[in-house]
Amino acid sequence: MKNITLYSLLLIFSLSACNPLDENPKAFIGTGNFYNTTEDADAAVLSIYNAINSSTHTLYNRLIQISIEMATDDYEAGPRARNAHVRALSNLTHDASNDRMLEIWRQSYDGINRANVAIDNIAKNPNLNSQKDIDLINEAKFLRAVLYFNIVRWFGDVPLVLHETTSLTPEAINPPNTPEADVYAQIETDLLDAEALPIVQPIKGRITSGAAKSLLSKVYLTQKKWQKAADKSKEVIDSKVYDLFENFADVFNVATKNGKEHIFSAQFKGLTNWNGNMLASTAAPTSVPGIAGDQADALHTAGGLFEAFAENDKRKYITFAIEFVSPTDGKTYKVAPHFNKYFDPTTPASPGQSSKNTPIIRFAEILLINSEALNELNGPTTEAFAGIDRVRERAGIDLLSVTSPSISQDDFREAVFEERRKELVYEYQRWFDLARRGPDYFVAKLKAAGKTNAQPKHVHFPIPQRELDLNKNLKQVPEWRDKEF
Amino acid sequence: MTKNINILLWISILLISAGINAQNTQATINSTLNGTVIDQVTNQPIPGVNIQIKGTTHTAVTDLDGKFYFQTGQKFPYILIVSYIGYVTAEHTATTDFVQISLKEDRKELDELVIIGYGSTTKKDYTGAAETVSSTALKATQRTLESSLQGSVAGVNVTQTSGQPGAGLSIRIRGGSSIQGGNEPLYVIDGFPLYNSDVTSGVLSGTPTNPLSSINPADIESITVLKDASSTAIYGSRGANGVVIITTKKGSASAMTVNYDFTIGQQEVRNKVDVLDAKGFARLRNAALYDTNPALGTNQYLSDAQIAALGKGVDWQEEAFQKGLVQNHQLSISGGNNQTKYAVSGNYYNQEGIIKNTGFERLSGRVNLTSKISSKARIGLNLTISETKSKVAPAGLITSLLSMPPTATIYEPDGSYTLRNPFENIFANPIATLNERKNEAITDRILGTIYGEYDILKNLVFKVSFGTDLIFNKEKSYLPSSIYEGLITNGEGKIGTADSRTWLNENTLTYSKVFGEKHNLNVLAGYTQQNSTKEFVTAGSQQFVNDVTYYYSLQSGNVALMPSSGESTWALNSYLSRVNYNYDSKYFLTASLRADGSSRFGKNNKWGYFPSFAVAWQISNEDFFTPVKDVINSLKIRTSYGATGNQEIGEYQSLATLSSVKYLFGDQIYTGFTPTRISNDDLGWELTNQFDAGVDVGFFDDKLNLTVDVYRKTTKDLLLAVQIPYTTGFTSSLQNFGTVQNQGIELGINTALGNTAFSWNSNFNISFNSNKIIALGNDAEFYTFGNYILRKGESLGTFYGAVTDGILQTADIATKGAFTGNATPKAGDRLYKDINGDGAFTTAADRTSIGDAQPDFIFGFTNTFTYRGFELSALINGSVGNKILNGNAQALELYNGQQNASTSALDAWTPTNPSTSTPRAKLDPAPIFSDRFVEDGSFVRIKNITFSYNLPKKVSEKLLLTSVKFRVVGENLFTFTKYTGFDPEVTNGTTISPGTDTGIYPASKTISGGLIVTF
Repeated sequence: MKNITLYSLLLIFSLSACNPLDENPKAFIGTGNFYNTTEDADAAVLSIYNAINSSTHTLYNRLIQISIEMATDDYEAGPRARNAHVRALSNLTHDASNDRMLEIWRQSYDGINRANVAIDNIAKNPNLNSQKDIDLINEAKFLRAVLYFNIVRWFGDVPLVLHETTSLTPEAINPPNTPEADVYAQIETDLLDAEALPIVQPIKGRITSGAAKSLLSKVYLTQKKWQKAADKSKEVIDSKVYDLFENFADVFNVATKNGKEHIFSAQFKGLTNWNGNMLASTAAPTSVPGIAGDQADALHTAGGLFEAFAENDKRKYITFAIEFVSPTDGKTYKVAPHFNKYFDPTTPASPGQSSKNTPIIRFAEILLINSEALNELNGPTTEAFAGIDRVRERAGIDLLSVTSPSISQDDFREAVFEERRKELVYEYQRWFDLARRGPDYFVAKLKAAGKTNAQPKHVHFPIPQRELDLNKNLKQVPEWRDKEF
Repeated sequence: MTKNINILLWISILLISAGINAQNTQATINSTLNGTVIDQVTNQPIPGVNIQIKGTTHTAVTDLDGKFYFQTGQKFPYILIVSYIGYVTAEHTATTDFVQISLKEDRKELDELVIIGYGSTTKKDYTGAAETVSSTALKATQRTLESSLQGSVAGVNVTQTSGQPGAGLSIRIRGGSSIQGGNEPLYVIDGFPLYNSDVTSGVLSGTPTNPLSSINPADIESITVLKDASSTAIYGSRGANGVVIITTKKGSASAMTVNYDFTIGQQEVRNKVDVLDAKGFARLRNAALYDTNPALGTNQYLSDAQIAALGKGVDWQEEAFQKGLVQNHQLSISGGNNQTKYAVSGNYYNQEGIIKNTGFERLSGRVNLTSKISSKARIGLNLTISETKSKVAPAGLITSLLSMPPTATIYEPDGSYTLRNPFENIFANPIATLNERKNEAITDRILGTIYGEYDILKNLVFKVSFGTDLIFNKEKSYLPSSIYEGLITNGEGKIGTADSRTWLNENTLTYSKVFGEKHNLNVLAGYTQQNSTKEFVTAGSQQFVNDVTYYYSLQSGNVALMPSSGESTWALNSYLSRVNYNYDSKYFLTASLRADGSSRFGKNNKWGYFPSFAVAWQISNEDFFTPVKDVINSLKIRTSYGATGNQEIGEYQSLATLSSVKYLFGDQIYTGFTPTRISNDDLGWELTNQFDAGVDVGFFDDKLNLTVDVYRKTTKDLLLAVQIPYTTGFTSSLQNFGTVQNQGIELGINTALGNTAFSWNSNFNISFNSNKIIALGNDAEFYTFGNYILRKGESLGTFYGAVTDGILQTADIATKGAFTGNATPKAGDRLYKDINGDGAFTTAADRTSIGDAQPDFIFGFTNTFTYRGFELSALINGSVGNKILNGNAQALELYNGQQNASTSALDAWTPTNPSTSTPRAKLDPAPIFSDRFVEDGSFVRIKNITFSYNLPKKVSEKLLLTSVKFRVVGENLFTFTKYTGFDPEVTNGTTISPGTDTGIYPASKTISGGLIVTF
């Protein structure tokens, strides 16, 4: 009897040792045992790329298009854009409760935090000091700059968070607005650091020194730092690392991805375990048998852009399609002009599986930045014509220096903006170009396109109400404050 | 009163014995006596009954066939005293040498056994608030064991989360107190504590199979619901939502009994939702198109002639619903002797859904064994093995059924499926989905416990048990290329397996002793440990050459999907103790303490301590009470206070873990890692303190019993995914946050009237619970979650939306246009109240609380009538004052002509029909959640009617059977409600949004017939 009791007790004690209360997840890596090797550091940086674009409704996979770009003169919510929030943006009736803008805000800061995590954790580990580790920090800084550059333009004074959030104290989670100028200063600092990246990366598509310089030239341009913008873009042009494709179509060919014109792009590949480019699906026709047009959210605003292209502009029918061949019945269907840059003919039935990349910054834009900055500095000089004319030459249209050799500075500016509009349409650029020209220009352009609700405040978006509710240190964008309740 | 009953009993016994022995009443000397003792109701022989000749010490005991024998010097007539545990002791006058004595089961309410945590007691001795489900309610249940709680226990609110066969129920004991930490009770099945949490790999679309559906309800012997802290604190960190204790049928020391129970029935949808027919829809679409572009005329969709030529069109609900067959076969064998007792059963249950190609099957077997291996030691086994198979309606199906336009067709002219809604709102053809899509789950479960008990000392029992709960789930999905869902992927097959392996070890010492005749002491101490691991794996592929092999041949797809797997483990170690003491069955005291260590919490907060204390006074056992005992035979008052916890937050929630993400360069995919949350070392228990006071009264020898309880339950440190600014990089952080209070009153009345020929038993219960948020963390006044708000002073499940204010009429556009929420208001737009008074309506700023999902009271009323072999029982239950968010109606009242609409569209505003309730048709209405879609969910329904008939013993014996019983059951046959959706007994399965009815598989009504044969 005693033995039984004894053995039972022994058994119980031995079992209690088998049931520890410490959690040791097997399927998850804890933050405590990560960021130890260069491979870990690389994985941390890869997660930031993932925040830039991954599945549908991520920043550079359609989200910016169906939110920000809807509020411009070139796009409107299509028949399948049934989300009231998307329609509100298209009509410029959106407010601080807009869920697409909230999602933009969330994803941007998610990416920023991923960058902060990578920068902090690689930097604080003394063993991570190889050139590759330093490069990884600089890639993270570049991506952080991309994200801050976006949100500072959308929302103005935004919280500038530069370190990983590791604590839940009110001070740690409720950052105040940072003045726009300070945000820009940080973006410049990050990009200057990122200039130290390799000129060519062994893996195509990763961030290079040229990408940092290119984005920096655009950051300078946006701040009207014309000289710096001109110099930095010239540095990129003179580096001879990048060039225009001879054929405009190659900018959007699967075979020529990450080619000489592509400085930094959102990477796509359909029908794999990665993601297709949803912009193809967003612009698909709804009436062609065999082509799934069920995600057709973005229509080009009738009577504007398509007609603005000269008929001999080589870009016109690469940018737009006015007919599709049905993959089921082989017939050709005429349609209203649809954006066609990302339509992948290998996956007609499911356009969202397109393997075409979306350029985030490419060499043609650097040429236009250079022209614009030089024009602002010195007027339409020969140097200023050079950039825009290289772009026009490739497009097969008359050179500006030939058609308008004595153009005024203002008209030259307008010509550059019109060229940007045509060259870079459907590349997440239009809203930024309209907004940086100021409220008058913005409102005039939108009203001309029939968007009569446009107001001066629309050069910014309102900071999402959720954030203002949770973070009492955060203030609404000044132009939107009258809408606070 | 007792005397009267005794006299009645006497008379009946005399009559019966007189009837049997009418021929010979002659007295003899030196008689021999042969007799049998049977159960008065079942006519089963009762072994082990003690028979004593009155006034002598001469006794006999019945054998396995209930037979006994005397040889005695007594003369006829003499009196036999017949006694057996659980039966009313009877006196029988023997007048001849053969007697048949029928014993009446002792139905005294107060001696009823109450199964409690780690033990059992009698109702009379119990100090807490616990209620046992009546055997009537248990018998009425064939689907899942939880449904027997519906309407049968005060304070328990049971709501269906889906009518999908095999799907689960939402159970709230004394209101829900947690926001996100889980509100479902803990189940303890034959001593094994488990939560009814889904084991799924995520491959299945729609409602996952309820794990408790693997338990065969016919195996259940008893269900006890523990409600107050004194009852539940012994389960510590898992007791806060109440505990449901289930025991299964055990064998008894009697001859083998074989029982076969067969039921067959039919189910159908209780109520269809009214939607437009083809003509109505065509007119609506014309109107919506005209509204957007008047220049194109009033008949942009179909001309009046075309509309006139339309028939009713496709009734999509009619196409999808069916009459489903339900059948149940149950074979049970039990018996035993004084050493070993056994009960073995097998069950096959098959339920076709009321929606085509949905259904549920269960095959289960159970073995319960107990054996005395020595005078001091006993061992036992409780084992269930089951397999369930489900065919599940995919998510979104019901919404599609309601929204699919009646002018759309199921098939194209060429015989292929119409892929989707032909209009702007894209969703798949639901009939194609039902017919072609594969969406299935198979779950195997082994739940078993072995235990040993050893009497260390006369009063000290040591019990050790080892249990295991193994659940293996496999989910299979195939989307063929012939339907919309599989079009883009050209066929997609997926298989997922998920398994959950739990082990349990419990070790308890129980000491019970009576000191000095009046001091009754019972002490329990124990140590338990439980550990559970879940794992899952999924695989899949796309781009199939054809749709022949479904998910059986994933390698036949051209594109493999990324496989995925995962693992999680939790551990719980506990010390528990309880002292029960009573003095002379008058003054009762119970104290308990449990210490729980859980892996789930932050490293600073692993252990929690949960004490409770209760006292009771059995006033009716006092001498001064004797004078009123004829009226009030028992009276007890009791009160308790204690703490319980809630740990249902999932694993690893306090840790900062990383999750993997991908990126692509060139053709190569790379893997990155990113943190998923900010660590919270302080994450701890949700703590509930509960006060309860109750009174139990028995009138007229327990013919009428009354129980009243009042309680207040305060839950603090609520586990909540607190929203944090996105600037942190995260959405939310799980924190202990805020306080919720439930208080209420429960009343239960039981009556037992009648005699052996006719009896009437009833159970009435009603419970009022009020739920209130006392505090939210971070000094917040409120939090909003979708259509819900959490606000101090309001209850959980409060709806938050706009308030409608009629329809904008042509004359009012200038004055009231700002209250439509439209930038360019037009007549016929819906008007909303300007809640914040800023002169305009905006969706974001003009929301307010518009009702809540908490009922004012719920009730159940069961009546059982027996007359000889006939039995009729009926359960009426109801809920009053709860609101339902009718999400289906919200979709059906868009009136956009892009999908079907409610028949209310016939009254839509037009210049010639200036409706004041229905807005005009338009193509792109903003879907605004408003009080329009918050409906009164009150209902009263006849939940169950059962009529059964026992064949007279004479007839059944001729059939060589012990007993034969026929049964007819009707469920949900009559319902009284104003709710316009499918069924008012409905809730969303998620904790945070109770009372939402969007796309939920509708409830059914059932008629079934059955036969129970005992060999």
